Amino acid sequence: MDYDAIVIGAGHAGIEASLALARLGNTTLVVTQNLDAIGRLSCNPAVGGLAKGNIVREIDALGGEMAHLIDSTMIQFRILNRRRGPAVQAPRAQADKFSYHRLAKETLEAQKNLYLFQDTVVDLLLNKEGNKVEGVITQRGHKISSKVVVMTTGTFMEGKIFIGSFVSASGRIGEPAAIGLGSSLRRIGFEVGRLKTGTPARVRKSSLNFDAMTEQPGDEVMLGFSFRDKKIERPTLSCWVTYTNEKTHKIIEDNMDTSPLYGGLIVGQGPRYCPSIEDKVVRFPDRLRHQIFVEPEGLGTEEMYLNGISTSLAEDVQEAFIHSVRGLEEAQIMRPGYAVEYDYLNPLQLYPSLETKKLANFYVSGQTNGTSGYEEAATQGLIAGINASLKLQNREPLILSRSDSYTGVLIDDLVTKGTNEPYRMFTSRAEHRLNMRHDTADLRLTPIGYDVGLKSEQDLETLKQKVEKLDVIKELLNKTKIGSKKASDVLRQPDVSIDDLIVEIPSLGEFERSLLNQSELDLKYSGYVERQNRQAQKLNKMEKIVIPSSFDYSGIVGLSTEGKQKLTAIKPHSVGQASRISGVRNSDIAILMVHLSRGKKDGGA
Amino acid sequence: MSRYTYDNNDIIYALASAWGNSPIAVIRVSGDGSIKKFSELFSASETLLKAFSHTIHYGKIIDPDSKEAVDEILVAIFRDGRSYTGQESLEINCHGNIIGIEAIFKVLEKQGFRSAYPGEFTFRAFMNGKVDLTQAEAVMEIVNSQSEIAHSLALKRLEGNLFNLINEIKIKVVDALAVIELQLDYEEDEIIDETHFPKEAIEGALKRVESLLDTYTIGRLYSEGCRVVLAGSTNTGKSTLFNLLLKEERSIVSEIHGTTRDYIEAKTHLEGIPISLYDTAGLRDSKDSIEQEGIRRTRGLIKESDLVLLVVDSSIDGYKLSPEEQILAKEEKTIVVCNKTDLGNVAVLEGSYPLSAKTAEGFKTLKEEIVKRLQKGSPKTDGSTVVIESARQKKELNRACEALKHSLEYFKETLPLDIIAVELNEALDALGSLSGEVTSEDILENIFSNFCVGK
Repeated sequence: MDYDAIVIGAGHAGIEASLALARLGNTTLVVTQNLDAIGRLSCNPAVGGLAKGNIVREIDALGGEMAHLIDSTMIQFRILNRRRGPAVQAPRAQADKFSYHRLAKETLEAQKNLYLFQDTVVDLLLNKEGNKVEGVITQRGHKISSKVVVMTTGTFMEGKIFIGSFVSASGRIGEPAAIGLGSSLRRIGFEVGRLKTGTPARVRKSSLNFDAMTEQPGDEVMLGFSFRDKKIERPTLSCWVTYTNEKTHKIIEDNMDTSPLYGGLIVGQGPRYCPSIEDKVVRFPDRLRHQIFVEPEGLGTEEMYLNGISTSLAEDVQEAFIHSVRGLEEAQIMRPGYAVEYDYLNPLQLYPSLETKKLANFYVSGQTNGTSGYEEAATQGLIAGINASLKLQNREPLILSRSDSYTGVLIDDLVTKGTNEPYRMFTSRAEHRLNMRHDTADLRLTPIGYDVGLKSEQDLETLKQKVEKLDVIKELLNKTKIGSKKASDVLRQPDVSIDDLIVEIPSLGEFERSLLNQSELDLKYSGYVERQNRQAQKLNKMEKIVIPSSFDYSGIVGLSTEGKQKLTAIKPHSVGQASRISGVRNSDIAILMVHLSRGKKDGGA
Repeated sequence: MSRYTYDNNDIIYALASAWGNSPIAVIRVSGDGSIKKFSELFSASETLLKAFSHTIHYGKIIDPDSKEAVDEILVAIFRDGRSYTGQESLEINCHGNIIGIEAIFKVLEKQGFRSAYPGEFTFRAFMNGKVDLTQAEAVMEIVNSQSEIAHSLALKRLEGNLFNLINEIKIKVVDALAVIELQLDYEEDEIIDETHFPKEAIEGALKRVESLLDTYTIGRLYSEGCRVVLAGSTNTGKSTLFNLLLKEERSIVSEIHGTTRDYIEAKTHLEGIPISLYDTAGLRDSKDSIEQEGIRRTRGLIKESDLVLLVVDSSIDGYKLSPEEQILAKEEKTIVVCNKTDLGNVAVLEGSYPLSAKTAEGFKTLKEEIVKRLQKGSPKTDGSTVVIESARQKKELNRACEALKHSLEYFKETLPLDIIAVELNEALDALGSLSGEVTSEDILENIFSNFCVGK
């Protein structure tokens, strides 16, 4: 064997997968088409956001890299949704794109056990039986063997970009697609589909009239995504807001025939939650304007990102409608907006470990699994890397539950329900949302990161101290009386904040701000968390009933035909997962439980 | 979210005797730890904890909040493995009136006991090897009754109208929740749409849930009972049917007046529903003043009744209803019974129920129809056709009602939206258990189709 592990691709998923594998002691080779494109932010220059910010902190709590990368390269920081409730607050940062990429590359290069090689993977090496991966074949003819392979091809597998009638085989504008691998996977028998996404034009900063736009500055204090980075000291840049108008919409409507989407050139399904401007104009004809966020792409560049108007209309049309917008009248387009269509693997073909069911030791993560977003990709990469490594150690895979993390929700949704549009995480997808605040990711996941081997003794010790302090604060609030009431009861009232209590209980002032906030939220939310948990509780008990992966559904009398097919194809790892598969009925679940429990009593599997 | 779990670990209860007023009612409880949990509600808790299996104990059941006795009861206990379900179990013998039983249910719920789904006791017995698992057919039967409850299958039994009404309410709540989830899932500055708090939608849903709850007549039905009148010409066999109805149950017959020209009232039960049954004078024009008085009373009784059994003699060739009978037959609360089918030469009227009161042939079907009609809610209510019928429907609607009220209160107290969303999800969970689940995908679908979002 040349390597323990090979990771195909070095985007946000590939970075996490390869670092996790190497850090866990496996010799790991990253094969990428272009070493100068490691960790590129292909679309918007930002990391985090609602639900996504929580994911970044989960990655950090488990021992991943994304939080460190953004903490060192951010040029604006904001906590979103401050007014709408702590459970759905999340951090978001604008990134310096170039620095982000460069730091990602430096981090990979500095990692022990990690090797980087520029080439394109076109096929897989399989064992004789054709049911286990043993390495990769590259475009230049290298055959490289390994025990496990993690595939993270993003938008590059058979990627195609569209601008008006212009079509090119690319994964990003100016970068060739990875041709061959998609066909190989189809030949092996994987179900491969097409998805579509898009990006807006980049314009030159010095050609914009900012006086005609509204400034949107960041928060004054920059906080870290990583639980290690307490406070960030970095230069900060503003974003700007402007709007499309009726003239803009008229131009778009009049030139819809130049759109490859409406002309039927694109077959892949695009994301409904992030529509192109032409989509918005068609679907919401009553709306007189749409928002545009003009965001800096970095400190050392003039390029500005026009968030909100992703498009694949012809370039002259793009120029015309952009120039119709206030503040953008003279905008110089440096890169046009475009749509990209790419191969994705139906994620129903994966176990929750992200290993494929068809090919042992072959893991898939990131946009290839039908997701969208850097954060969604990264956390899958981390889990795939961890699980590939656990497999090499003959250990049980790490499967996070829906109740302990957004990552758990993400992967469970993918492998249980599949997806036919690019999947983005939303807080409403999580039944246990109130428990999954971004500030508690370390409490939820760091012990797991330690158990896996990515978090150190010291990390665990830091966490322990935090927990102890939280306990002390809780005790303090429970013991101290304010008037005739317990301080904790006083704090439960909606109009009382912990700041009001510091006057009465001065010793609270000795604790860090973040810990006080956390204690306050824990207390204020405890009743509602209980209610939410009751709603979701039924689910939890079924999660714990494990179905052996060798379980044979064919011999079970009474299962519905559809239920039998779905269960056989998806191979759920627990009764809980089985119950969420569409087409599996409650009666199927009941019969399954009777059989599983009978098996236990008979002493069989 | 509302999928039934087939979980065997929590404690369930159900009324084992018929739902209705009776001298004694039996409530069955099953689940690990049930004896200890129940002892906390029992006046002689120490005795109960130490007692052997298969023993009976006298005491009072105490409300844990008010500390007041709810009822005097006898409790039989069954230690682990030695009960019908194979689990630790209890049987509570209490006084058999509906209000008292419901009060006990309330106390049990407070203690964390859950109302059992139909078939759930048997299901547990299967799971614990108390019933032969190899009888696949029986397993399927149970399993089917399980699935019926947890999911929309049960809903096929629902009146179409009720199902639609609940769905309409659900759509309102989904609309309201979508406005809130939109604000939770997208940044403040990313939404230009109007995002007022959906107060009107929630209030509208709440109002409809409340008026639906008002139609819950079964409580009234069982506590007050209802009036069933036997009407028809003389010699059609009313009295035979009267006696047949009384023979079925233990009944007390009390003759009001001895004359056949007046009416006879008897008290009985049908499927637990207390019934006042009236055998009346025949409806016909008469010049006899005493008979006229009897007919006048009969008409009065018919007017106040919940159900009329119009009995005709189907053995008479070319039998025709009198004009008055024809009008009566068309009324919603009337069941036409074509009696004397045993005499042959039968002409059964369309939409009527054939019966031989003499041989009881056709009686079972008729009785089922009577109970069905009575349970449908009294025709004396406001005339709306949609009513809720079962205790379970009432319970779920109450849950939805409470949750919707909470969400409005929380809004008033300016609590954050993520907490308000918990309440609206609770309401959806409750409504979903009556007419099919709402998934997070449904909410997102609503957001994407109604709001222009996304940068």
